[in-house]
Formats: sequence, C-alpha cells, structure tokens
Amino acid sequence: MAPSKKKHATKQACVTPEGFAVLPLQFSPDSAARHSLYVKEHKVRAEKTSCRPLDRTLFVLNIPPYCSQSVTQDLFSKFGVVASVELRDVPGSSQESGPKLPKIFRPAAKQGFKVGYVVFESSSSVTAAKSHPHDESLVVSTEQKPVKTGVQKWIQHYTKSIIHPDKLQQTVDSFMQDYDKRQEKEAERQREEAEKQQEDEEGWVKVTRGHKGAKARPHSEAANQRTLQREARKKRRKELMNFYTWQHKNTQKEHIAELRRKFEEDKQRIALMRAQRKFKPY
Amino acid sequence: MKKKQTVTEEPVEMHPSDFPHGDEEEQLGAPKKPKRMKASEEEEVVYHPVKLSRSDLYRPPTAEELNHLKEAESLFHCSLLKMQMEELLKEVSLSERRKQQIDSFVKTVTKLLETVPVSPKVEVSDLSWLSGTVKVPFLLVPKVTKGKFHMAPPASVDLIGSYPLGTCVKPHIKVDLAATIPADVLHPKDFLNQRYPRKRALYLAGLAQHLRSSSDVGELRYSCLHGNRLKPVLLLSPPGKDSSSFTVCVHACPPPGFFKPSRFHPQRNNIRTEWYTGLQASHDENSEPPTPHYNGSILGDLLPRAHLQFLSAIGSQCSAFSDGVALLKVWLHQRELDQGAGCFNGFLASMLLAYLLMNHRISNTMTAYQLLRNSLNFLASTDLSASGISLAKDPDSTAPSLAEFHNAFQVVFVDPSGHLNMCADMTASTYKQLQHEASVSMQFWDDPTVDGFHCLLMTPKPMIRTSDCVFQLCDLVKLQASCKKQNLLSELMDHSGNYVQTVLPFLLALLQQGLNQRIHLLTHSLSPDPEWSVERETPKYKAQPPLSFGLLLNPELAASVLEKGPPADSPKAAEFRQLWGSRSELRRFQDGAITEAVLWDGKSAYQKRLVPNQIITHLLQLHAGIPVSCVRFVGTMVDDVITTGNEVPSTGEEESLVVVQSYDDLSRKLWKLEGLPLSITAVQGAHPALRYTQVFPPEPVRLDYSFFEREKTCRFLVPKEGKPCPHYLTPITVICHMEGSGKWPHDRTAIRHIRAAFHISLAEMLKKHHNYTCLPCPTHLDVWKDGLVFRIQVAYHREPQVLRESVNAEGLLVVRDNEEAQVLEMATIHKPLLTSTLHGLQQQQPCFGAVCRLAKRWLAAQLFSEDITEDTADLLVASLFLQPTPFTPPGSPQVGFLRFLRLLSAFDWRNNPLVVNLNKQLTAAEYTEIKNDFMASRESLPVMFIATPTDKKMSLWTRRAPSVQMLQRVMTVAAESLKVLEQQLMDGSQIQDVRVIMRPPLDAYDVLIHLNPKQVPLLRHAVDAPVVTFSRGVMTNGADQAGGAFPVVDYNPVSLYLTELREAFEDLALFFCDPYGGTVISVLWKPKAFVPAPFKTSHMAARSVEVTGGEVKTIPNVEAILEDFRVMGKGLVKSVDARTEKWMF
Repeated sequence: MAPSKKKHATKQACVTPEGFAVLPLQFSPDSAARHSLYVKEHKVRAEKTSCRPLDRTLFVLNIPPYCSQSVTQDLFSKFGVVASVELRDVPGSSQESGPKLPKIFRPAAKQGFKVGYVVFESSSSVTAAKSHPHDESLVVSTEQKPVKTGVQKWIQHYTKSIIHPDKLQQTVDSFMQDYDKRQEKEAERQREEAEKQQEDEEGWVKVTRGHKGAKARPHSEAANQRTLQREARKKRRKELMNFYTWQHKNTQKEHIAELRRKFEEDKQRIALMRAQRKFKPY
Repeated sequence: MKKKQTVTEEPVEMHPSDFPHGDEEEQLGAPKKPKRMKASEEEEVVYHPVKLSRSDLYRPPTAEELNHLKEAESLFHCSLLKMQMEELLKEVSLSERRKQQIDSFVKTVTKLLETVPVSPKVEVSDLSWLSGTVKVPFLLVPKVTKGKFHMAPPASVDLIGSYPLGTCVKPHIKVDLAATIPADVLHPKDFLNQRYPRKRALYLAGLAQHLRSSSDVGELRYSCLHGNRLKPVLLLSPPGKDSSSFTVCVHACPPPGFFKPSRFHPQRNNIRTEWYTGLQASHDENSEPPTPHYNGSILGDLLPRAHLQFLSAIGSQCSAFSDGVALLKVWLHQRELDQGAGCFNGFLASMLLAYLLMNHRISNTMTAYQLLRNSLNFLASTDLSASGISLAKDPDSTAPSLAEFHNAFQVVFVDPSGHLNMCADMTASTYKQLQHEASVSMQFWDDPTVDGFHCLLMTPKPMIRTSDCVFQLCDLVKLQASCKKQNLLSELMDHSGNYVQTVLPFLLALLQQGLNQRIHLLTHSLSPDPEWSVERETPKYKAQPPLSFGLLLNPELAASVLEKGPPADSPKAAEFRQLWGSRSELRRFQDGAITEAVLWDGKSAYQKRLVPNQIITHLLQLHAGIPVSCVRFVGTMVDDVITTGNEVPSTGEEESLVVVQSYDDLSRKLWKLEGLPLSITAVQGAHPALRYTQVFPPEPVRLDYSFFEREKTCRFLVPKEGKPCPHYLTPITVICHMEGSGKWPHDRTAIRHIRAAFHISLAEMLKKHHNYTCLPCPTHLDVWKDGLVFRIQVAYHREPQVLRESVNAEGLLVVRDNEEAQVLEMATIHKPLLTSTLHGLQQQQPCFGAVCRLAKRWLAAQLFSEDITEDTADLLVASLFLQPTPFTPPGSPQVGFLRFLRLLSAFDWRNNPLVVNLNKQLTAAEYTEIKNDFMASRESLPVMFIATPTDKKMSLWTRRAPSVQMLQRVMTVAAESLKVLEQQLMDGSQIQDVRVIMRPPLDAYDVLIHLNPKQVPLLRHAVDAPVVTFSRGVMTNGADQAGGAFPVVDYNPVSLYLTELREAFEDLALFFCDPYGGTVISVLWKPKAFVPAPFKTSHMAARSVEVTGGEVKTIPNVEAILEDFRVMGKGLVKSVDARTEKWMF
C-alpha cells in the first residue's frame, strides 16, 4: 500500500502510513474540537460482491455516531455524486442479507463509531476526497441541513417507533404470505427429491447426486451424539463389576484414595484460608 | 494438624504412565502447576485442586492413618470444620514469647508491690497520706465512713483467673493479679456499710501511688470489675511499645477466710438504712431489707483463689478443657455477651464446663469441638433463671438453698463453696439472650448447607445487626427518677446507688409485659466497664454510654395496631388498665365482645412498624417517668430514604400492592379472552414491581393532555420539545406464553412476525372487551390500565431453541448457544420464574420487599446499579432471608439492609459460591455439587457467583457484571457505608443524617457531565430532595379511566443518553449514573485505552493519530470526545466538567 503520491504544493493533504488520508470533521461550524476521518481507496484482493467497485469506493474510518447513512452521503457529496453508502461496526466484507425486513423488525443497530464504504459515481471523486486539505474540515450540521441530536432526536425516535396497528398488520401479513410461499416451494422440492429415491416398477433406485443439504434422513448433531452415547452404554453394560478379586480390591483402594484426596483438599483449603488470615475471629 | 508421612510439598513428578486416562484425571482436573501457597503471595492465592501422585493415593494405608481418616469422616460432617477450629485456636492462644513477656512483667510488678511503704494509721476519711494526683476510685455515697486505715505491703501477690488456668485468649489479654490486703488493715466488722469496699479502694489508690513512681510500669488506669463500682481494679500496662499487647489487672482481696461466709447470706442485711439514708430508723436488724448483691460482691472477693484451685483441679483431668473454654469465649465474644455488667464472662464459661464435667454431661476424653457443642446444648436446654444449678457438692449447713438464691437473684449458678451466686448481676433477659443464641447455634450446627464454623465463631453479632429494632435510653440520669417512681429505695441501697442496674430489671419486665406477643426476645446492652486514669475522679453513673435495647420481632404480630385486652368485666381488666393507663379504652368488636383495648396509630406499613416505638415510649413515660426525649428509636431511621407519599408516609408496600392487584386483574382478563388462534398457557409477571421490590413502585397517574403533543392518526401522545421531560411511566413487563403448536413456524423471523400478529389481536380484543387503550409493537404490547402501563410480551417456549439451531456447511443441524437465545431465555423464562418465587418469599417475610428497596436504593445512589443489577440485588437480599444464620431472618428493613451491606463486604466472593436456596429446593448433596463445580472451574466463572436451584453452574444473573474491579469497589464502599451507618445509628451524639451513605464521592472520576434537571424525569426521587420541581404532565389525584390517548411510555432521556454514550465509547470509558434522579453522569477513562496503540483499522473509534519519530501511534481524541458528549446530549447536558488535572496521560 503505497502512500498517495498526489500531493498538492500549497494545500497538502495530511497522509498517514498505510495510505490513509486524514479528513477533519466537526459537528457544527462553531465547534472547537474535530474528529479525524481516515480515508483510503477500497482495496482488497478478492471483492466478491459488486456493491463495492474497487476503483470507485472510498473506505472511511472513525465516523461518529451522529453521522447516519444520509448524513454521510451528504458529507461526501462534496467530492462528487455518491452512489451509495454502507456503514458498518467493523470493517469486513459485506454480508448477504436474507429477505429484506422492514426497519421495525430488524434488531436495533448499535449507535457507535462506524466504518463506511462510500461508493462514488466516478473514480475521480475518490482522489478528490483523499487530497482534501487537512486544515479545512467537513461540517456535519449546517444551517441548511441541521442534524438533530439529543432531546430532539430522542423525541423524533420516540414518535417514529410507534406504528399504526393497521400498518403493522399489513407488514406482518405480506411477510407471512411470502413466507408461506417459500415454505411451499421448499416442501415441493423435498417431495420431488423423495420421489426420485423411489423404486421404479422393476425395483431399481436411481441414485443421483442431489445438491447440498438435501439428505433424505433428517440429520443433526444431537442425533449423532445420541448414537455415540448409545454405543458407549452398550459397551459398558457388557462389563462385569466386582467380579474378580482384583476388581474388588481396586474398589477398596479407590475408596481410600478418595478419602485421602478429600483430606488433602481440606488441608489445602485451610492453607489458603490461613494465608488469607481467615481464622482471626476479630 | 493431622499429618501424612509422604505428602510431597514439591511439584510431583508426573509421568504419562502415572496417569492413565480415567475418571481420576477428570475429577482432579488440575492444571499442571506446582503448588504455590506461600504467604508472600497472599494477594494472589488461588485455590487449585491438589493432585496427589498415584503412588501417594494408592499407598497401603497404615492403621493410624486409617483412624485419622475415619475420625474426620465420622465425627464431623466435614473434616474441614475440625481443622478450622484447630486453626482458630492457634490464632487466639497466646504465643510463648507473649507468655514470657507477661511472666517477666508480673514478676516486676510483684516485686514493686512488695516494697509498698508502710504509712501511719489514720481515719478513713483522712486522705492526707495520698499525694493529690492519685485519686481514690470510689463514689462516696453517702460520705460518712467509720474506721482507720493505713498502707502496708500486700500479704501476698498471686496470679488468679484465666492466665494461670491457661484459658486466656487474644485479643484484650487480661492477666489478673490478686494483692491480699494485710489483716491488720481491716477490721472484722468491715463488711458493714461499705467499709471494706472503701478501704479496698483506698488500698488500691495506695498501690497506684507507689507504682506510679516506677518506670517499669506503663500507663495506670482504674476500672471496675464487671461494672461493679464497689470493686474497682487497677489496670497496669507494660511500658514502651508493648503497652497495648496486654494489661495486668490488680485486684485487692481480703485475707482468705477473713469474713465468715454465713454473714453474706442473700437474705441478710449488711447496709443499714439509717447509715445509707442518714435518717433515724428502726434498729432491728431483722426488719432491714436484705442486700444480696452487696453481700455477693464482698463474698466474691474472698473466693478467687479457691475458684482457681477448683478449676485447675478440674481442668487437669480434661485435656481439652482450656481449648474448650477458649472456643466458648470466642463464641461469647462474637455475641457481645462476655463484657460489661452482668455478662457471661470467661470465668463463668470455665465454671460451666466444670459443672458439665462434674455431672458427667461431658467426659474427660472429649475434644474441644465436643466440649463447645455440649455446653451450647446445655445452655440451650436449661433455664438458669427458673432452675439454677450449683457446683457445691456438700454445702455446709449455713449455705443458702437454691430457692433462697432464686428469691434474691434472677439467674442462679452457685459456686463450689455453696455461698456465692456467680450470676448475681445477670438479668433474666441476658440469660434468655444467651439461651436463644445457643439454640440458634445448635440449629445450624448440623446443617451441612451452612458454613458452620464461620457462622458459629467468625461472624460478629453486634446488637444493631442482630436485633430487628433497637432503641436507646440516652439521658441515664432520668433513671434516678424512675427509681423513685417505682419505689426502689432498698434495691438502690443493695446496688450501692447504681440506679442503672437497679432499675434495669424493672424496665425489662415492664417492656416484656407491654410488648408481650409482639416480640420473641428482648435484649439489652451490657454497660461496659468504665476505665479512667488514676489521676481523674471516678466517673458518675450517668457518664455511661446510653443503654441500648434490642427487640427480636414476631413478624405476624409486631405491627398490629390493636392491643386487645380482657373482657371488661373480667378481673384482669383492672390489671390491663393499670398497665396501659389512659390509652386503654372499652371497645366493641364485630364478634360482639366488649373488651378493653388499646388502638395505636398506623395506616401504612411504614407507620405500623413504628407501633412498638409507640408502646415503648408510652410505657416508659407512664410507669418509669422517662420522657419521650430520652428514648431514641433507631429501628426505622434508614427507611427514610425510600419513603414517599404526601399525606401518609409510606415505604412502598401499599403502592406495590396496588400494582400487583391491577396486574392480577389484567391477568384474569387475559385468561378469559376467547377467540385467539392459540390459547394462553401462562401469564407471568417479570418486573420487580410485581414482586414488591421496585425501589419506587409505579404510581397510578392521570394525564394532563395539554402538556403533550398529540399524534392524530394513532391517538398517542408525544413529548413536547420545549417542555420539561414528561413523567416517566414505567412499563410493567408481563410475559404471556402461548401454547405450543405445529402452527408455529420454525424460523426466527417468521416467529417474530407471528408474535407481532398476536400483539395486534390481543390489543384489539382488550380494546373491544375492556376498552383499554393499547399500543401493539412488533416486540411487545403496551396496555394503559388504571393509570399504569403494562407491557405484554407474547412468548413461544421453543423460540430459544430455534434461535440456537443452524444448519452448517455440510447440512448438519447444529445447536450452538448464542447471546440472542440467552437474552430471550432470560426475559421469558428466568425473570418470570424469579419474580414469582420472590413474590412468594414476600408473602412469608413481610419486610423482604422493603429490604430490597433499601438495598437497591443504596446501590443506585452509589452508582452501582449497572454492575449489581436489580435481579442480582434481589437475589442477594433473598439469601439473607433464606439463610440468615447465625442471625434470624431480618424483621425490619433496616436490619436487613445492614446485613446486606455486611454480606456484600464480608462474603468471600473469590472462594465461595453464594447459594440462594429458593423454595428450599436444594439438598445437601446439591450444595456440595455446586461447591465442587465452582472450585473446579473458578477461573472461568463470574467473579460474583450466585447459584439458585434452577441455575447451579452458570450464575446467570451475574454473568455480565460486575467485573473484578467493580466488585472490589462495591465491597470497599459497602464496608465503609456499613461502618459509618452503624456508628451513626448507635451514637445519638453524631449528626443524624443517614443519607451520608447515599452520596457517592465524585472526586474519583475524570469527567462529570451535569444534566439539566428539567430533562431528568425521576428527579423527585433523588437522594437529596430537589429544590425546584417541574410540572411533568400528570395530575396527582386519582388514576385515569380506560380510554383516551395513549401516554408517553418508557421515555427517559437520561437512560437514552447513557445507552448512546456506552455504545459509542465503551472501549474508552465507563459511565455511571444514579437512575433515580441523579443529575450527574460520572465518567471514568479506561487506562488501557489511553496507552498509545499502533494504527489498526478495526480499532480507530474516536482516536487520532500521532506521528512521533516515524512511529505511528493512536490515542483517543479527548477534545473531540468531550465535544461529542455535548453534541449527543443536546438539550439534556448542562455542562461537561473535565477534570484534566487528574489525567495522567
């Protein structure tokens, strides 16, 4: 990861090793203190998904909690048109999400510092962002676009968290219809699989390589465990206890050893307590 | 200690062949570590299970070893107890070095005493021979004395008491030395009219004057033997740095046999009324009142040598005698019974053992453990106040009979001579206390679930923590008046003017009669022996510290407001009226009976707890003339911090009851709903308010609609921006289990949606049938009912299982525990169960809830509520009720709270699990199992380990918190709070402000975020009541009827802000706040986060880069973080106070 070579003569972008450029950020125009965003072009050896094109994606560290997705989009549109913004708790490849859930059914997201993947329309914006002068900071909340925090935000959240029962019912209904359809399809597929395993009229079974996870027998870890245990039990039952003299002797020996062990443990416990001066009654 | 011949102390050599795979390896499961048990590593000593090598374990046993093992197994339920007692004895017995020190000092003193110069004979009242600086340790009431006195060296100086007997124990080592007054100083008639005691005091003053001139003796003080002012003693401490290690106590005695014992018969008079009062009276000796206490105190001086001989003869026969006495002394000391006037001292303990040995109640071959056990058993089963015992084998004919002793004294234990009652000063109530303690000890001794040793001998039981209620008599001089009122002149004469001791038995009898069924036990403090310098005057009786009385309440009857007396026409009615005076009234009851009765005031539970107080002050004023101002009632002082209510002060019992009743109603209505797709299988409360333990229970409110913004479409209210934060409505969680059925999907998101559908249909039905305003959400359903909000959560019992299942890459169904499932199980299974169990406990123990509330208020005020959660705190308090040993279950909130603090600070969290035996489900075997599991995997378990019947291995409730550091801090703060509080409660002269323990020191924190009180919804619950209050959109009178718009529920800016802060800065700082109206958030930086760290993309939150000499390091960007505190809490934060001077980075 080579450090950025594009340095302006007059307004220098602050560059740290590992190729990150620093973008100062302040909450409002009159804030005294600034956070520093660390930005870099997104570079990984194997990017699986298409949502982070390598040349147009800017990787941003240390995005403060009050910068939501839309706020971040506004912030970076300064450098060019932003196609999408993805905010994450920790850097990593993007997860494939299941069926898209409405917000109310998703578990609440953590409101901490984030890392972001900002995808621009053009690759030149990435360079523009990286070479932004380090003494000129981005401003989160401006007069034109105020960002609500504190009490205002909480009241807004409270209002939004309440949904009309009818709307909720609609969401639930549409999801369940969808779900039922999926279930039906799945059942259909399984039935077909099973059919394929059936004997034909001449008694032959056609063995095919089905795709993964399509086993006829339902099988789970717990079932495997149970089978192993059953085997072990069977083995143990075959053995005879206290049958031979040596076995009997061994049992007695074990008993004495047990007593000794207990005695020794007690002694150790006492030693420990004595070390902690636990016997001083007052 | 029992030894084994070949227990190796060095690391055991281990070969793979030594340990074949087997259960033995698993059981021991020891890390391959050498044993480290050195004292130098005291802080870090951890219990590691031992590993004996195979050769050690399977060596053929010797007969001796087998005996040891068997003895330990059969005699004691755990050999640990035996070893513990042996260790304890080592701790309290005197070392050889100390004994040598004592011997040499005693020798010096003896020599010095033998050189006391002889002074000429003078009148007793003439003190000219005494230099002015040394005072005579005697209160001259009345002043006149006849007789002559001169100083002469003692006839002999001998060691007496516990030291020569070998039963002397640490601490407060006291060596008794008897100096015999030469016969020519005394006159045979000196026993009359305090002449002997006065000469004795003069003689002691003479000795003190002589010893004062010597440099071999350290400080000289006077004291008196067991508070008896007739028997002053001289305390000597060795000079130099050893001065506090022991004291020598010099007694002056008459020569043996100087007075005839028959003179001191308890029915004889030895103080003439004429002399005492100065008035002319009858001269007939027979008509004079008997003076048994005076007689006993002089007789006691004649006998110490005889007693020593007797005890050493007995002790020499029984090898464990001295150890047994030592254990008994420790036991007595922990119960504060061994010091002060009328105590059961070490001497009586030795005599008791001697009695048991003589009567073959114990045998000579028994061990110290058995001696202790048998003597406690004897004490528990024998009432010396009803049937006294005597050590005299064949008393001479002049000795009084037991019946005569019983007439004169409350408790009777006659010495070997047959003339002296050794328990003369003891009150019946002290003996009852002793008996009670012994029987409590016997009860838990055999209980394998209790740490017997610890409860028996290691736990101090001060009165304030033992008794449910304590009150004090402060101005003791007022007791003189009560002596007069009760007409106790002859008793006062007998006690030589000690009006406190004179009137005490009468007060006790009076209170016992008045409190009667309300109490199990009435105890009183034993006034401590005063000590004063030889240069000071003898302190007066009124200089004693206040007299404290402790009550052990009977929870069923203690708080009843009605005292029902006999029927009006019965002969007992007069007695009743006499006792209660003008408070007694004739009342007609519902059953038609007309009886005498007294009705006390009390509406709320808090006021009812004060009924004993009313009784006590009334009786003391009526019968003893003690004004109300002298009685200081300590029993309910702490309750003050949780009292609410404007007209009737209450500590939350009534409010909780309202909530529970409303919940019961809701639950019934839910059960009756028809037409749901699946039926309801259980409705369970899962909120502290439903088990009476919510610190400030939710109160029904009526809304002021104009205060809020109104959302038109769904008809719900929203807080207005410019206004103060609205009243905080606590949602009361109710879990509603639906029946299991094939209709439930087997998919996590689908289950979530089905639940939402249930919430909607429940809401519709509740609205339709009962007209409740409801608000369904995907996760819950809020119901607005009777001015309270219930949050119903539908639960499906297989959901946690579904959350745990997943299909891995091979298509194998795997079950893995995860946090989501744990959280769900906690909310839908464990919390409801805990709530119903503790609700049950509250029904048995009426003050359980109040103790919980006090405990949680304290935790919150000290900013610990995040670490010791509500459920944990409730469990801790429950353990105080379920396993109160060595106490009895707390009978008042205050005593419960004190014990809670003691539990927090004194419990050995590191090495012991706290087992809370809810519903008494755990057996002894399970206790052992819990302990063993705990020991085996201590390191991986939570630092605070609480086991319950449903959770034996995990300690669910403390899994997240507290951390080691926080627990450590909780323990220190608890210990400090307990100390401050107990001192304040027992000492009326201090500033009385129990809230001191609720104000945490804030100077330890790095940043303080001050909040705008306007936006703190629970401001009115703050520890110190706020100066300004804000209107919060509720009206105080009455609850809302059903219907209307839905209120603002669970909106608390402070907790929202805290959540945001914690989520954003959890790596950098800790945030603390009192959830009940705290207006400051304290921030503590985590030191680790401020160590410059290398640049890491995953670890850059709120950090800035510093480049120093080519190295890139990151540190937190403090400026920006402080700015963020302000930004994120806009409108709530008043100011951010950064205490930069404290930061060390």
